[in-house]
Formats: sequence, C-alpha cells, structure tokens
Amino acid sequence: MPYTELDHTADILIRVRAPTLNGLFSEAARAMFATMFADRSPGGREEAFSLCADDRDELLRDFLSELLFLSEVKGVVFTDAEVDLQGTCLSCTAHGESFDPQRHRGGTEIKGVSFSGLRIINTDEGYQVDILFDV
Amino acid sequence: MLAGCTKVGNMEWEVPVGFVPGMRVPGRFFLSDDLAETVEEGAIRQLANVATLPGIVRHSLAMPDIHWGYGFPIGGVAAFDMHEGVISPGGVGFDINCGVRLIATPLTVEEITRKRELIEALFHAIPTGVGTKSTLRLSSGDLNDMMDSGAAWAVEHGYGLESDLEHCEESGRMKEASGAEVSGKARQRGMPQCGTLGSGNHFLELQVVTDIRDPEAAEAFGIRQGNVCFMVHCGSRGLGHQVCTDHLKLLEKATGKYHIAIPDRQLACAPVTSPEGKAYLGAMAAAANYAWANRQMITHTARTVFSSFFGLDHEEMPLVYDVAHNVAKIEEHTVNGKTMRLCVHRKGATRAFGPHSHDIPRAYAATGQPVIIPGSMGSASYLLKGTQTAMEKTFGSTCHGAGRVLSRTQAKKGARGAEIRETLARRGIIVRATSPAVIAEEAPEAYKPSDEVVRVVHQAGLSLTVARLEPLGVIKG
Repeated sequence: MPYTELDHTADILIRVRAPTLNGLFSEAARAMFATMFADRSPGGREEAFSLCADDRDELLRDFLSELLFLSEVKGVVFTDAEVDLQGTCLSCTAHGESFDPQRHRGGTEIKGVSFSGLRIINTDEGYQVDILFDV
Repeated sequence: MLAGCTKVGNMEWEVPVGFVPGMRVPGRFFLSDDLAETVEEGAIRQLANVATLPGIVRHSLAMPDIHWGYGFPIGGVAAFDMHEGVISPGGVGFDINCGVRLIATPLTVEEITRKRELIEALFHAIPTGVGTKSTLRLSSGDLNDMMDSGAAWAVEHGYGLESDLEHCEESGRMKEASGAEVSGKARQRGMPQCGTLGSGNHFLELQVVTDIRDPEAAEAFGIRQGNVCFMVHCGSRGLGHQVCTDHLKLLEKATGKYHIAIPDRQLACAPVTSPEGKAYLGAMAAAANYAWANRQMITHTARTVFSSFFGLDHEEMPLVYDVAHNVAKIEEHTVNGKTMRLCVHRKGATRAFGPHSHDIPRAYAATGQPVIIPGSMGSASYLLKGTQTAMEKTFGSTCHGAGRVLSRTQAKKGARGAEIRETLARRGIIVRATSPAVIAEEAPEAYKPSDEVVRVVHQAGLSLTVARLEPLGVIKG
C-alpha cells in the first residue's frame, strides 16, 4: 500500500510512501480523498492550479489544502492528481467526478490539513511523510 | 502513561517545567486515576509544548477530555498576557467556534408519540452531511453582516427570538470580528453552508431530562425532570476551516519575524497586539460569529418542526445556553490578586464562568453559567454550572465532551453502522444519518463514558452537575 492509516484517536493520521516526490504528492492527495469519499471513480472533471511555498513540507500542506478547497467549492470528488514539482513550486492537474451525495457519502469530512509532525523524509525506497488531518 | 507527571491534588496533575525544553510555566491537567490510563503520551507532550509559548500565564492547562490533537492538545486551555503573549490558530483549531446549545421544550416523553416521524422531519428540514447546501441564498453583503453580527444577524432576519441572544456566550457575537480579514476563499466556502449541520461528530439530538441533581440551578436554567429538550452541535463549517488554513500560513511567517521559537509548526503564532495577531483575531471572531448565526438558524428550523408537530409557539422552546468550545477570546481574569486582560484559548474546552460573573446572563447570576457537555451518540449528556473554582484554576474553563478512546478506523472495524442503529433502536434511541459509516465512526464504544468525564470535572470543582439528559433520537451528517 502506498499509504496506510496510523493509529490516532481523535483525528486521522496517514503515512504516505512513494519512490518520487511527485508520486508522494499524488499519493497524499489520493489518501485524502479516499478518506473523505466512498466509492470514487474517474469522471470527466478536471482542475488545474500552480503553487509556491517556502519549503517542500509547506508546499505539500498547501497543495492538499488547495485540493480540499477546490473539491468543496467546485463540487468535485478527485480520484487522482498529476503533480509536477520544480523546487518549492508545483503545477497540478487533478481529475475527478462531480460530487453525488448518493454515492460519495460515507467518508469522513476533513476540516483541515494540519502541519503537526508533517515532515517529508528520504528513505531507502524514496520518500515518506506522515500527515494529520483534522476531521 | 504519565511518566514525568506529578499528582498534585485529588484529580489534578502537574507537568513540570523541563518536561520539554523551553517551558515557561508548568502544565496542569485534571484526570481520575481511571482516565489517566487512557491518556496518550503525545497529548501530554502537546500540553508541555504550549507552555513554551511567550506570555503564557500561570499554567498550560488541559481538561479531563484531554487528547492528542495538533498544536494544542484537545481539551487544552491557555491564557496569554495581552502585551507579552501570543495568539495561535493551533490553540483554536480548524472548526472555529464549534459549539453546542441546548433548547428546552414543555413536552414530556409521553407526548412524543411519533418520534420516528419527528426525527425524520428534523433530518429533512436541516441540511445535513458532506456537500449539502443551504436553502438560503446569501449575498456577499449578507455574509459580511452575518460575520459582523453573529446570532443577532439571524434573529434580525427572523431566525429566532431576541431572548436567544442573551443566552449565548458573548451574546452570540465577538466584537473583534473583522470580515476584511476573511479571504475570498473562506467566503466562497461559507456562502452556501449557513444553516447546515455538517458531518462527523456534529448532530442534533432529542433528549429527555432524567435526573435533576441541582434543583435550584435547574429551575434557573428552565429545565424540568421528564421534559424533552434538544441539543445542537456544529461550528463554522468550511468558512472557519479556511480562515484557520489561511491565517496559519500568515502566522508561520510572523513566528519567524517576531523570533518566536516553537516546538511544533502547528503552534505558529504572533503577539496578540501585532498586525498579524490582530488579523487572525479579527478573522477568527468573524468565523465564530458565522458559527453562532449558523446554530441560530438550525435552532429556528428545528423549532419550526416542533411547532408543526406539537402546536408549540417558538417562545415555548427557550434557548438554555450556547457555548463555544474552539475559540480564543479576550477576557478579564484575576491572577495573583490582580485583574488582567488575557487572550484565553480554549481548544475542545468550554467556558464555565462562575456565579456573579459580568459575562453571564442576569438570570443565571446566582447559579453560574450553564455548561453543556454532550455525550457520545447513545450516551447521556450533562448540564452543569460554572464555578468560582474554575475561575481560580482554569480561567473559567471545563471539559467539552466525552473524548474518544477508539480511532474512527477501529470504531468502524468494531461494529457496522446498521448494527449500532438496531442496538440503539432497541433502547428506544432513533438514529438518522446520511450513511451507516457515520454511525459506525461515532459508535458509543469509541468514546470515554461521559459519566466518568463529568464526574471528574464535578469532583475537581471545575463545574457542578445540574442535570443528566438521556438521548431519544439523533440526526447526524
């Protein structure tokens, strides 16, 4: 599994692993939306955006926060996100489908992406990060 | 579990300076020996981390529902000097002014003959769950007014009674609100969500008063044995979540600018009186006001449903009280015999002001502020009263709920939503939710027993039990 849920009583703590930084960001997005929405499948929706931050940890937090914002205001349930990182900037094209209450409810609403303990580390296999979501 | 902590009273523990480097004051938390077994090491560390922040006064505190959160622990309370101290979104959380209110009715349980239909009607009248939108179409001017005036905006627009306002903490409006500090993104999220309940642990619950333990206070609060009441738990929805996200980013920069060393990036902060600190306070207060308007509108919708079922006037369903449990506020407290203006952060903690406080309704002056502690789904909730002890020990604060013992994943593994619904139905409690998974996440077994948490605050004197409220039915997102 590229991401796993770690034990956290009050909120949701997820460990993401990937061989590349681009992959780590994509997997983190996938983990977040798998938590939020049941029964996702690809659809015809697409949202693109670019971001810069002071460091890559902050960039990951801002990237997930932006997806959270877009999902809510545009009514999109994202299934995957293509990420292209250049230093501490990124461009992203996220794909998904329109929110359908009948199908998508049953997940856990995420209120925010916490910065608590969020630190991207290098591992033998690539990269790893733990992300705590406020739910 | 509590290695390095010292028991300093019957229910009181101290985390000494030095537990983590840079602590300016000791930590204090309140727990029975039984509950002490369940505390995560991470929560104690977070309590100690808060003690490193500049200008913290007396103690970094945690209530008996202490939990490992982010930034502050859940159940965390800290007060900061207005001149030397800081304000931090990590001490408030994403769901700004998540809170709870209790509304009394003159009905008895015997009169609720169509309970399932009543719960169903409430579920359909109040927009509930992820992705639901308000039926109200707000203009951006309306949203500005709502963020400025809070619950009063709702009452002026026909959602509630004038008397409701006096029975809200801060009269349902923080005067520090500044809509100018609320981003376009936050507004976009807030516009379609006013009057919606949300999901997760938010709910509207139908309850019956089963056990009056303080008849005098119950009389003052308008609560009678055997009567039905309802409780609303929700917050500032996406607007508040976005305010937290936006201002955390701004305050991260400020933390460096003002040379503040923090042990956790979620504790980003700025001096209370700095431009960045004031901007966050203004935006947070605007979100808090939005939350009060939100709970006010939900109350009005619920009263309308009760009216149509039982022919009651809205005036026959008075608001007992409304308390915030994720907020930072400027309050006056006595410290070492001196009156000080402080920025008091409560994250998953409830204000519990004692008798004769200037900030509570006149009708409650002799008893102290009503404190509402919701139980988990299927377990009892409690009405308590604030105390002088809380004023002296915890800046007038107490716990906010039962507190989880199982993660959501563990809870979902334990039992299916449908099974829990059936078990509760056999006890006469009807649960209506947008999906069975929500019920499984919030299973009664996932929480500490509310009775135990309430027993601790009562015995520690942080608030005193007035009445016990048993659930009859609940709607959830």
